[in-house]
Amino acid sequence: MDPECSRLLPALCAALADPRQPLADDTCLEKLLDWFKTVTEAESSLLLLQENPALVELLSHVLKSQDMSSRVLSFSLRLAGTFAAQEDCFLYLQQGELLLGLFGEGGPQCWAAWSVPTVRSGWIQGLRSLAQHPCALHFLADSGAVDTIFSLQGDPSLFVASAASQLLVHTLALSMQAGATGCSGLWDGVWPACAQKIMGHLEESLQSTAAPQVTQALNVLTSTFGRCHSPWTETLWGQLCPLVARLLERTPIPAAHSLVDLLLSVARSPALSSSHGRLWEAVAQALRCLSPMQAGSLALGMLKLPHCPQALRVQAFGVLLQPLACVVKATAQAPGPPGCSMWPPGWLDGAEGSSLTVDTLLSSKSACVGILCQTLAQLEELQPLPQRPAPWPQEPLLGAAVTILRLCHGSATSSSSGGGRLCATLAGCVRVQRAALDFLGTLSQETRSQELEKEVFAVLSEYLGSPDSSPTVLKKAFQTTLRWLLSSPRTPGCPDLGPQPLLFLRELFPVLQKRLCSPSWEVRDSVLEFLTQLSRHWGGQADFRRALLASEVPTLTQQLLQDPESYVRASAVAAAGQLSSRGLQAAPDSPEHPQAQQGLLGELLCILSTDSEGFPRRAVVQVFTEWLRDGHADVARDTEWFIATVLQVVSQDLDWEVRVQGLELAQVFLVQRLGQPRCPYMVALPEAASATPIPEVLQSLCRLRLFDFAFRALLDCDRPVAQKACELLLFLKDKTAMCGGLQEAGDIPGSASGQVTLQRWRAGEQGQLPGDLQPEAMLALLRSTDLEGLQARLAQSSDHMEKSPQSLLQDMLATVGVLGENEADCY
Amino acid sequence: MLDCGMHMGFNDDRRFPDFSYITQNGRLTDFLDCVIISHFHLDHCGALPYFSEMVGYDGPIYMTHPTQAICPILLEDYRKIAVDKKGEANFFTSQMIKDCMKKVVAVHLHQTVQVDDELEIKAYYAGHVLGAAMFQIKVGSESVVYTGDYNMTPDRHLGAAWIDRCRPNLLITESTYATTIRDSKRCRERDFLKKVHETVERGGKVLIPVFALGRAQELCILLETFWERMNLKVPIYFSTGLTEKANHYYKLFITWTNQKIRKTFVQRNMFEFKHIKAFDRAFADNPGPMVVFATPGMLHAGQSLQIFRKWAGNEKNMVIMPGYCVQGTVGHKILSGQRKLEMEGRQVLEVKMQVEYMSFSAHADAKGIMQLVGQAEPENVLLVHGEAKKMEFLRQKIEQEFRVSCYMPANGETVTLPTSPNIPVGISLGLLKREMAQGLLPETKKPRLLHGTLIMKDSNLRLVSSEQALKELGLAEHQLRFTCRVHLQDTRKEQETALRVYSHLKSTSLMAR
Repeated sequence: MDPECSRLLPALCAALADPRQPLADDTCLEKLLDWFKTVTEAESSLLLLQENPALVELLSHVLKSQDMSSRVLSFSLRLAGTFAAQEDCFLYLQQGELLLGLFGEGGPQCWAAWSVPTVRSGWIQGLRSLAQHPCALHFLADSGAVDTIFSLQGDPSLFVASAASQLLVHTLALSMQAGATGCSGLWDGVWPACAQKIMGHLEESLQSTAAPQVTQALNVLTSTFGRCHSPWTETLWGQLCPLVARLLERTPIPAAHSLVDLLLSVARSPALSSSHGRLWEAVAQALRCLSPMQAGSLALGMLKLPHCPQALRVQAFGVLLQPLACVVKATAQAPGPPGCSMWPPGWLDGAEGSSLTVDTLLSSKSACVGILCQTLAQLEELQPLPQRPAPWPQEPLLGAAVTILRLCHGSATSSSSGGGRLCATLAGCVRVQRAALDFLGTLSQETRSQELEKEVFAVLSEYLGSPDSSPTVLKKAFQTTLRWLLSSPRTPGCPDLGPQPLLFLRELFPVLQKRLCSPSWEVRDSVLEFLTQLSRHWGGQADFRRALLASEVPTLTQQLLQDPESYVRASAVAAAGQLSSRGLQAAPDSPEHPQAQQGLLGELLCILSTDSEGFPRRAVVQVFTEWLRDGHADVARDTEWFIATVLQVVSQDLDWEVRVQGLELAQVFLVQRLGQPRCPYMVALPEAASATPIPEVLQSLCRLRLFDFAFRALLDCDRPVAQKACELLLFLKDKTAMCGGLQEAGDIPGSASGQVTLQRWRAGEQGQLPGDLQPEAMLALLRSTDLEGLQARLAQSSDHMEKSPQSLLQDMLATVGVLGENEADCY
Repeated sequence: MLDCGMHMGFNDDRRFPDFSYITQNGRLTDFLDCVIISHFHLDHCGALPYFSEMVGYDGPIYMTHPTQAICPILLEDYRKIAVDKKGEANFFTSQMIKDCMKKVVAVHLHQTVQVDDELEIKAYYAGHVLGAAMFQIKVGSESVVYTGDYNMTPDRHLGAAWIDRCRPNLLITESTYATTIRDSKRCRERDFLKKVHETVERGGKVLIPVFALGRAQELCILLETFWERMNLKVPIYFSTGLTEKANHYYKLFITWTNQKIRKTFVQRNMFEFKHIKAFDRAFADNPGPMVVFATPGMLHAGQSLQIFRKWAGNEKNMVIMPGYCVQGTVGHKILSGQRKLEMEGRQVLEVKMQVEYMSFSAHADAKGIMQLVGQAEPENVLLVHGEAKKMEFLRQKIEQEFRVSCYMPANGETVTLPTSPNIPVGISLGLLKREMAQGLLPETKKPRLLHGTLIMKDSNLRLVSSEQALKELGLAEHQLRFTCRVHLQDTRKEQETALRVYSHLKSTSLMAR
């Protein structure tokens, strides 16, 4: 431990032990514990206690005085546990009877403070920390702690109950580990006493008629099989499996969620390979008798397993397909929608749950919405997995997704009574719409027939065009549309869009045009994001260009640069920038119009210098960087003017992210002029022929005041800006290392005052570089500045001062006694 | 889920709630119908982008229009601090904040919003900050009111919280000032103005570290009015962008401010400041007195820290901390009285300037909380957002005064409330007619005993006559006959005795009917 911390500890312990001294902040005690954990991980706890007797005094004091605040008591219990995690320290504390006093039956459990959840939680966490060695195990068994843990599993505090369950899992595992014999570490078949006790408790709980007790036992077992993969878990399962199976025979099945979790946890355990037979039986039974909602999660879990038996896979997939099959069946017209009657043979044959699913679907709106959303999400999760069922019923699933979307939209009708009820239930249901659109998007990754693709684009058109679509649904519809367009099959060797998407796109632009005028900013923003993506992918294609330019979308996009909502302005900047890159910008209506004359570049510069919000300004610099990279015509016309203007505006920006992006732009410019940065592992190649000679570049950097901008950024009070500036200057230093200019820094005019500025900056003051430095002075300044050292300092993050243990101890001590009105005034 | 806040005191996972307590394996959206955000403070909405974009909640989020507008500004502010100062990479991004805000459904005050078939919510004015709301959440005949943070006394720009007599089953109320009867806000304001004035009078500089939006605007109005009244010429500066931004939002949501501002808005907009100018970094070195509002509010990074470093060494200067500071920040250190601060690179900064703490937080005090309980008339009260010891005092007071149960669960603790929900039961016309036929006219306010058979079909309950029940359920009627042998000792003739027994039984059975 740091000597300074050692010096501060006695005073802090005394303050903690004094119940009249309130502590400022709960977080301080948490941070203090974090620090002790770090210290004890690195050095001996015993030594720490011996060198700092104040710590033991604090623990003894806690035992003696029962009027201790619950926070300090809880802290002390956790602290004692942290120290006792090392066996020698455990024995040391045991000798003083401290541990028995703190964790034994006569300890805090009998105090009034036990009614405070924080204390019970501290007690469990303390035990959890100390339970690391065989001595601790004996202690747990002998002190009666295990029985207390059993009772705390039902604690009204969620945190205490959960921690108690986790402690039982840990104790069981530790106990079995300690019972393992021989150098192979194999378990010899006799359960250690502590484990036997826990087992007995679990068996009793599983047979209980009280659902909470069954849930607790199932949760402990789920964690056990999830974490412990030793051979003894197989015996554990063998012993408990019949009890678990018996739960499935009860009506209603108790703790169904936890039961599903347990079955999945056992199925995933690598230690249970040979006893899977009985497990599969239990799973099959569970799939049969659980409600469709509960069975769905189990089915998905089973299908994800690489070693699930085929029969069970068929049953599980049947469970997942059932709700969709029911919807399609209930709404089927003659002739049905394409694909609806083509479920793969076998998958739905043995679906005993069919009537149960129908009942659930039709029982109430919330049940119907719940099961459909869950099923769609589960199938979405299953689709990309390699172990998904084969053949994958792509067409019927597509048909089902389209049907559901139509039901929600009100464009599907059904004459059957079940279908009619579904229509009424799902009409306008946003949750199902969103889930179905997500699922539809996932299905775009598969092959499909042209007819179905047509159906999909038709339903997407309905959603994109419908005035009833909510903004969140519309956003999903855009995302799904993009996925379908991107995955649309193309003619080999031809990058153009297929006939179907093309037809769709032609109809899409009038819709986008309308949507760009939506009163909802969310909608306008989603359209602009979509448009940016569209033009990024297809901006170069003739058909796309024709369709886009025939619409008013480019004009509207440019108009949205003035949108009252800053998010929309930012998206409009990105979209207009992208369109302009592709030569798709709006044609000026009247050349006399000032905006038209100004051009997009002027308009974006205006946003950069005047917009009151950061998002649009950041978007502008991003667009400019892309333009510079791509050699946009407006930039290429006079790159130097462009860089100088942008950097001048950016350097004044109050948003540090804009300044960082300005530096990024400067770096792109430098790379274009000087070539890529040297990679230390790369074979040295001659510099790219396009790179401009260095003296010439340096001249231009001075003209553009890029040096000035970068050095100013080094002085920035926001760390990322200084970091980026450092990176940029290091690149420059590296590139100019071989360049001439052999004069010493002090000999060059301007360089000396530059040095002075940098020194002032080092002293924490602000300063400015002289305005008109020459390349040589700049070069000298660059060479004489310890950029590497600065980079290392900045990489540390500037909060090391706040996080240091000394700072924490000082803050805690400083707070003692000065607490007044300040404490309660949070926001 | 009511609110989705964060703890600014931690830099790791502990700063956000542990959502795995909702579900470990399932999708969060399956477990929650909606999220309701009461107002834009980070302890109420700071975890929202993390929850919706990183943990994966995909359902609706409800908040008022001003909260929807201002929330992203504060989230952005916080994100930038986290990424800048702490250099955290695994944090929500700007895009995530935007995507999260797109999931928001904005609500108007007193508008009943149907979340789904069963759940409806309604917002009430809460004072506290612009756009803060209390929410009534209703399922069938049962309801809960969640107050968020509220203020029962109007301040310079906001009105007092108000709720109608909605008699919820449960009122969940904040209890920050559970034992305090706050001194009048006027006194605190006077104190603040006096301190600022004295400092600038003797040529000192005043630094007020603030967060982007909220209390800063209130203090600006205060100084602006005072400067106007006293005809002061000392410059007041505010980080550029913030005043415009605040002005924009307060104008946009003028209906959310108090009556005075609304009335005078046409003549003079209170948020168009004459004396408060945009700040430039170079101004910090100017000689002479000045007042500067700078961000961030805890003096842990950026502009406010930079100015503090410049001014700390002069005893004529003053720093006024108007809010909470997390341990480890310079703000926390100076508030706890530390005067020698170790800065980066082992430099020691000696703080000679005066350090003042001014509380302007707008929470209801004990009196205000009692007032709200009186207004809403809940069946039960649950105290949150406060300290256990203080809550205990208030709990007893509420139970004594209103004769309702009051709870104060610790974090993570479950409270179970007994309620008596009303279950609607339909009565068949036949049964009603039969009752009417017996000559008893129905009286609305008088409870009446009605015999029939209760049938539950398709989750609906109906009371019908037993004949109709049998018919509807397709059941046959069964009659059970009981016989028993009774020995009577009567001296009369056998026939006469039989007749007496028969007439006795007949009369009792009639009575029974």
